Parts: sequence; structure tokens; C-alpha cells
Amino acid sequence: MRGDRVSAYVWTWLGLLALLAASCASSFVPLGRLNAFVNVGIALAKALLVALVFMHLRRDRPIVRLVAVAGLAWLALLFGLSLADFLTRGP
Amino acid sequence: MKTAGAQALSTVRTAATRPRTARRPRVAEQFETAVQQRAAATLGMWVFIATETLFFGALFFAYAIARIQAPDDFAQASRHTNLVLGTANTAILLSSSLFMALSVRAAALGTRQAAVGFLVITAALGLSFTGVKLAEYALDYREHLVPLVDFAFDPRHARGALVFFGLYFATTGLHLVHLSIGIALVLGLAWRLLARRPGASAEHVAIAGLYWHFVDIVWIFLYPCLYLVSRA
Amino acid sequence: MTEAVRAGDGGVLGERGELALHPPASYLEEGFTIRSWLTTRDHKRIAILYALSITLFFFIGGAAATLIRIELATPNGDLVSADTYNKLFTMHGVIMVWFFLIPSIPATLGNFLVPLMIGARDLAFPRLNLASWYIYVAGASFTVAAMILGGVDTGWTFYAPFSTLYSNTHVVWVLAGVFVVGFSSILTGLNFIVTIHTMRAPGLTWFRLPLFVWAQYATSAILVLATPVLAMTLVLVAVERLGGIGIFDPALGGDPLLFQHLFWFYSHPAVYIMVLPAMGVVSEIVACFARNPVFGYRTMAYAIIAIAMLGFLVWGHHMFVSGQSLYAGTVFSLLSFFVALPSAIKVFNWTATLWHGRITYEAPMLYALGFVGLFTIGGMTGLILAVLALDVHLTDTYFVVAHFHYIMVGGAVSAYLGGIHFWWPKITGRLYSDRWARFAAILLFFGFNATFFPQYLLGIAGMPRRYHEYAPEFQTLNVLSSGGAVLLALGYLLPLVYLSWSLVRGARAPANPWDATGLEWRTASPPPKRNFAAVPVVEGPPYAYRPSPAGIVRAREGTA
Repeated sequence: MRGDRVSAYVWTWLGLLALLAASCASSFVPLGRLNAFVNVGIALAKALLVALVFMHLRRDRPIVRLVAVAGLAWLALLFGLSLADFLTRGP
Repeated sequence: MKTAGAQALSTVRTAATRPRTARRPRVAEQFETAVQQRAAATLGMWVFIATETLFFGALFFAYAIARIQAPDDFAQASRHTNLVLGTANTAILLSSSLFMALSVRAAALGTRQAAVGFLVITAALGLSFTGVKLAEYALDYREHLVPLVDFAFDPRHARGALVFFGLYFATTGLHLVHLSIGIALVLGLAWRLLARRPGASAEHVAIAGLYWHFVDIVWIFLYPCLYLVSRA
Repeated sequence: MTEAVRAGDGGVLGERGELALHPPASYLEEGFTIRSWLTTRDHKRIAILYALSITLFFFIGGAAATLIRIELATPNGDLVSADTYNKLFTMHGVIMVWFFLIPSIPATLGNFLVPLMIGARDLAFPRLNLASWYIYVAGASFTVAAMILGGVDTGWTFYAPFSTLYSNTHVVWVLAGVFVVGFSSILTGLNFIVTIHTMRAPGLTWFRLPLFVWAQYATSAILVLATPVLAMTLVLVAVERLGGIGIFDPALGGDPLLFQHLFWFYSHPAVYIMVLPAMGVVSEIVACFARNPVFGYRTMAYAIIAIAMLGFLVWGHHMFVSGQSLYAGTVFSLLSFFVALPSAIKVFNWTATLWHGRITYEAPMLYALGFVGLFTIGGMTGLILAVLALDVHLTDTYFVVAHFHYIMVGGAVSAYLGGIHFWWPKITGRLYSDRWARFAAILLFFGFNATFFPQYLLGIAGMPRRYHEYAPEFQTLNVLSSGGAVLLALGYLLPLVYLSWSLVRGARAPANPWDATGLEWRTASPPPKRNFAAVPVVEGPPYAYRPSPAGIVRAREGTA
């Protein structure tokens, strides 16, 4: 949008690249199950940067932000309630 | 309490943020004002993005369950993906998002040539991504990692690896289809902006930008799922 | 407020906003060629295109049902083979769910009425709306191709591993058909959401919207959030069937329950896609024919949203005996109890709307009252099925079949027919014979109960579903059911006759034949292409039936 400064975009881009490097590097550190959480966490952070800065969600109308969140929230429902089954099965 | 003449659209931005120097988009006949049209287009694209979130999301869900049920197979299979190319591609796509955002901003400011330039760079980066991905597919084929086509893997992990690579090709293939549509959209917009044809306003570029960034976000999640399962 | 207001084109508006002089041509008269219909962007014409398409598919699905009921009149499998029977109930389910019920009210009544009810000139994306219809037609043709190629026998639920490994029928064609038609409904939902958010008339705040619009909005949210998951699920079934990669195949380390979770994540909310619009229709009709505002308007609106959201949390109740964990089963059972609450509240409120009303029993009202009763029975039997212990006995029996037909047919189809009858004068500009319509509605009610109530008893007695033959002791109830189906079929065929008749010989309808509130009644019957001569301004709540609906709306001066 016209109100954004170029520097904001560039810093965001650098942040994204840094997170990419961190994600790649962390995968070489044997953390067992934690690796997956670190990776997903970093991916979420990257996605948030893209959404808030590049996609202007920072300053959009509430309904737009609600729609953006709804997609993810519903996905979380699919994951969460299904895992209630998959993770509680017997041996 | 609204007066009779006011728009009942308190959540929509006012004329203060409407670009002054950019060409005004034509207002379609079902809308009362350009502001209403812009609000509808933006909301429409975000609703579409929400549907795509669930479309890809279901695929990620299948991946998650399959991985929970065969963690070792997935780990082994993931080691056979090309980390260098995958990471490079992620960087390429992230950079394309930067240029897309710059293009949207340039279009909103009315600086047409800058907008066109940034759009072209965005498309070029998108095409580079595609090229790298296809090269990667060729390498995968040579290593017998394509399901249905001569698939061969360490027998101890073949079952889960088959699922992994099935999902790998399904997700990256679907992503590539979406990216190609994005590249076509971006190039089409660049052409129309350059030639001063109708159908290319700041609003159009902004909407295309939302789509492009979404395609980027899908890859942001695909990258660790496919390339980083177990490198340690 | 009975003063006449000058409209922009110089015509004078009467008391309720109808144009008394210089009426513009209706949308039906804007071009008489087939091309003008097939390239239209007018939401009203697209609604009619949809109406014709879904009616065609309703009768194809009904033909399959007819053969099923004829077969089931005797205990032996003597009409068709077991394989053919499997194909019949599969096609019945696929067609009725995806090619009739899901699009029915949203794509016909919703498309026609949502812009009118909010005072807009069209939906937000008219070309997308037309594309939606063409996508529907494309999906339908894949499915018809599958039928011609010999049909599919997996059931409309496509359970793995039968659909992925063992079925020898043309599953992929039907998967493609449903996949494609899914995008049609996603785009319709997207259009409605954006339209309702951004194109409401001045003064039309959220809590002044008719409940029909609330219902379409909630339905659209479900459409856009649930359908993509179905689309991907069908892709995965096709990939598994064609490529055998093993996500659903236990022999290859996959899990058939993964399919069921993915499938029902969509398919349970799908039933709310089918019933919420019906509830919206019922609210409009009951208020009008009881001459009362809907009791507890805000609660009704909140209940609609609650049904839509809670409906996403209960899908596992289709999987109680499938091998899902007991913990998950308990969670889903409890959540299923909760989802009954807002539905029950709506039933109470419709009943309360009748209290001290000046009730008349025109055909739309008969359909709406039928809905309230039949939906209540269907809903309560749903609660019975939500009880884990009872479901163990009742699952995959005719009790389930009866339950969902009470909701889908007794409920949703009744409401659809009620809505068609209520808004027929608005859509076509013609009046139909109310005597014939009432007769058809009553015939349908009795035929429906005769067809499906015995099936509850059959289910309790243990008759399994999806079998072309059954134990002889079930025959009496089956014959009763098949006999009732004859009445039901008549009840469906009659409207075709008298409604078509009304198109050529029916009296011309005035703008507001039912003296109803709502912006759609403020314009001519049928409406002009741009819906309103002047954008209306809303200044009061909906359902202003007491003391009278006069004068709530007036047009903004000078604009057209």
C-alpha cells in the first residue's frame, strides 16, 4: 500500500531470510521431536511476517483479519479434533 | 445512527487513502462507489485465500497423520530431497514476495514504470523457482523417487517413503500449478500496465499481490515439511 | 408513513414503494434469446438457470430412489442385482446431496433474493456467479458420464479401502464430478459473504437483516471453509486409486480412518449447508403468515451462527463404530449434544412466533409448519444417534436413513418447496393455484411420513441399510414405506404441473401479494434488471408485522 515505507519491506525480507537460515541450520541440530516444533514455529513466524507486512494485515479492516484467522483456525480444528482420535488409540 | 445519505459501510476506508495519482479503476455497475468495489475485491481475495488454506491444509493434515504413523520412514525419505535446491528456492520465493510488495506500493503511488519493473522481477523470480523445481524433479526421477515411475527405496523404509514422495509430488505439484497461475497473472498485469490498457489498476495489482503472497506462504510451510524432517 | 416519494426517473412511488407509473421492463424481458440467458450476469437469471438444473437432477436422483423402493417392496433381490442396487443408492446419494440439496436453496433462492433483500443491484461478483453455474454444469456432466459408463457402487461416502482398492466401477469420474461441483459451491459462498459484508443498503445494519440473509451468510461460511477439504479428500482418493501410494491403505501403512476424518470434516457441516438456508426460509414464511415478528430475532441470528460453528465440531459421530478411539468418540458425542441446542432454540422461537398470531394456511405456511414438525423429529432422532451406546445398535441401520431423510427431505426439501411457493410471485410475476398447492403440500406431508416413519421402526428392529434384500419379517414396514413413496412422488410431481401452468395462465402478481415485509417485496414482481428504481434506505427492524408493515422503507430521492 502507498503508506508503507520501502525500508519496512526490506527489513521484513531480511528477517525472512534470517529465519530461513535459522530453520535450515536448526535442522542439523539433533533435538529429536523438538526439531519439528522449531521448524513449524519458524514457519509460522515467516508466514506472520508475510501476512502482516506484505499482505497489509497489520492495518486492514477487522473483517479481513477475521477471515485470515478463520482459515487457520478451522485448519486447527481439523488437526486438533482428529488428533484426539489418532493420539488416543491403544497400542 | 446513520443519515440517509451516508454509506452504511463504517468498516470501509474513506477517500483519504484513495490514491490520487494512480488511474482510477472503473466502477462496475453492481457497486455504488469505487471504495465499495475495492473493499469487496479485497475481502473476496481473502475469502478465497481462506478456502485455499483449507484446500492445502487438508493435504498438510494427511501429511501430518502419515508422518505420525511412520516417523522413521519419513525421516529417511526426507533426507533424499535436495536441501540446497529447496533452500535456494525458498529464498527465491521470499524475494519474489518482496518485489511483489514493492510493486503493489508503486502501483498505489501511481509510479507505473516502477510497478511494471517490480512485477517483471517478481515473475522472473517465480520462473526461476519453477526452473529449479523442474530440475529438482529431474534429479528425483533419476534417483527413482517418483511413485508409479520406477520407484525404488531402501526396503526397510519403502512403505512410508512411498507415502512421503507421493505427498511430496502432490503438494509441490499443486503449489507449482498455483505459482504458474500467479506468474501468468503478474505478467498479464505488467503487460496491461505498460500498454496502459484497462484492467490494470492499483487495485488489481494489490489483489494479485495477496494471491502471490499466499502462494509464498504455502511454500513457507512446505519447505520444512519436505526438506527438514531429519537432517541431524 | 404513507407519503408518496418521487423516484429518480420521474415515476411516483406508492405507499410501499411500488412504481405506479413508467414500470421498467422486468428482468425476464431483458432479452429472450437463449444466448441472453447463457451469458447473463443477472443474479436473478442465474438463479433460474440453477433452478432448472437442480430440478432435473432432483428427478434423476428421485428415479434412483423409485427403483430402490420398488426393489425393497419384496425381501428378495428380484428387481436388480446386488451390484446394481449398490449403484442405485450411490447415485441417489451423490446426486441428491451434491447436485440437488447443497445448491438448492443457496443457488436458487439465495442467488435471487440476497441482493434484493439487502437492497443491492446484484451480487459482488456477477461474472463469478455465472462461472459458478457453468462449473456446476461441468461437474454434473462428469457425473452423468459416470452413470452412462455404468455407475458407481461405493456409496456417496466413498469409504476407503473399497473406493480406493476394490471397487471396479468408474469411481474417478464421479470423484471428478463432485470435485468440480465443489468449486461451484465455494464460489457461491464467497460471493454471498462479500456481498453481505460490503453491499448492504444504507441503514441496513446486521441486526436489521432478514434471517434468510443471516442463514445464507452462515451457510456461505461453511461452504468456503468445509468444501475445500472435501475437494482435497476426493483428490487423495483418486490419487490412491490410480497410484496406490498408501495413505489410506493399511497394508501399505496407511489409515482408512484418515479418509473418514477428512470426509466427515466436510460432510457433517455439509448437512448444515443443507438445513441452515431452509431455516432461513422458514423464518421468513412463518413471520409472514402468522403476521408476527420472529420471536427472539437476535437469538435466532446467534443460533444460526452457533449451528454453523458447532457443526464443525461433531463429525466423529459418523465414526463411532469405525475404530476411532473411545476418547474421541466420547468427545464427539458430547459435542453433538451441544449442537442440538441452537436448533432446538430455533424450533421454540418459531413456535413462539405463532403465539397470538393471525395465522393463515397458504401453501408456503403448510410447508414451513411441516418443516418445523419434521425437523424436530429428525433432530431428536439425531440426538438418539449421538448417544454412543445407542449408536452401536442403530448405526448402519434404517434408523439412520430415516433420521437424515427427516431432516433432508422432511426438512430441507419442504422448506425449499415452501420458499419456491412463497417467492414464486416475485420471481415469475405470476400467481399459482393455492388450492392445488395446499393439496400437494398435504399430500407430501402424509406421503413423506408414510415413507420414512416405518424406517425408524425398521432400524430399531435391526434392518441394515444398503442391502438389496432383507429378512422377511421386515416386509410389512417396507411395503408401507414403498407405498408412502408413491404419495411422496405425487407430491413432488404436482408442483411441476400447477407451477408450470401458472407461468402461462396464472394471474399477474402484484409487487407484494402476501403483504410481507422485506426489501424484496418493495419492488415489482418480477423485479427489473437492476432490482430497484432507487436504492432503498432502511430505518427499522425486520418483520415489522405489528402493527403493520406500511412505510418502513422509503427510497432515496433523486438516485436511480
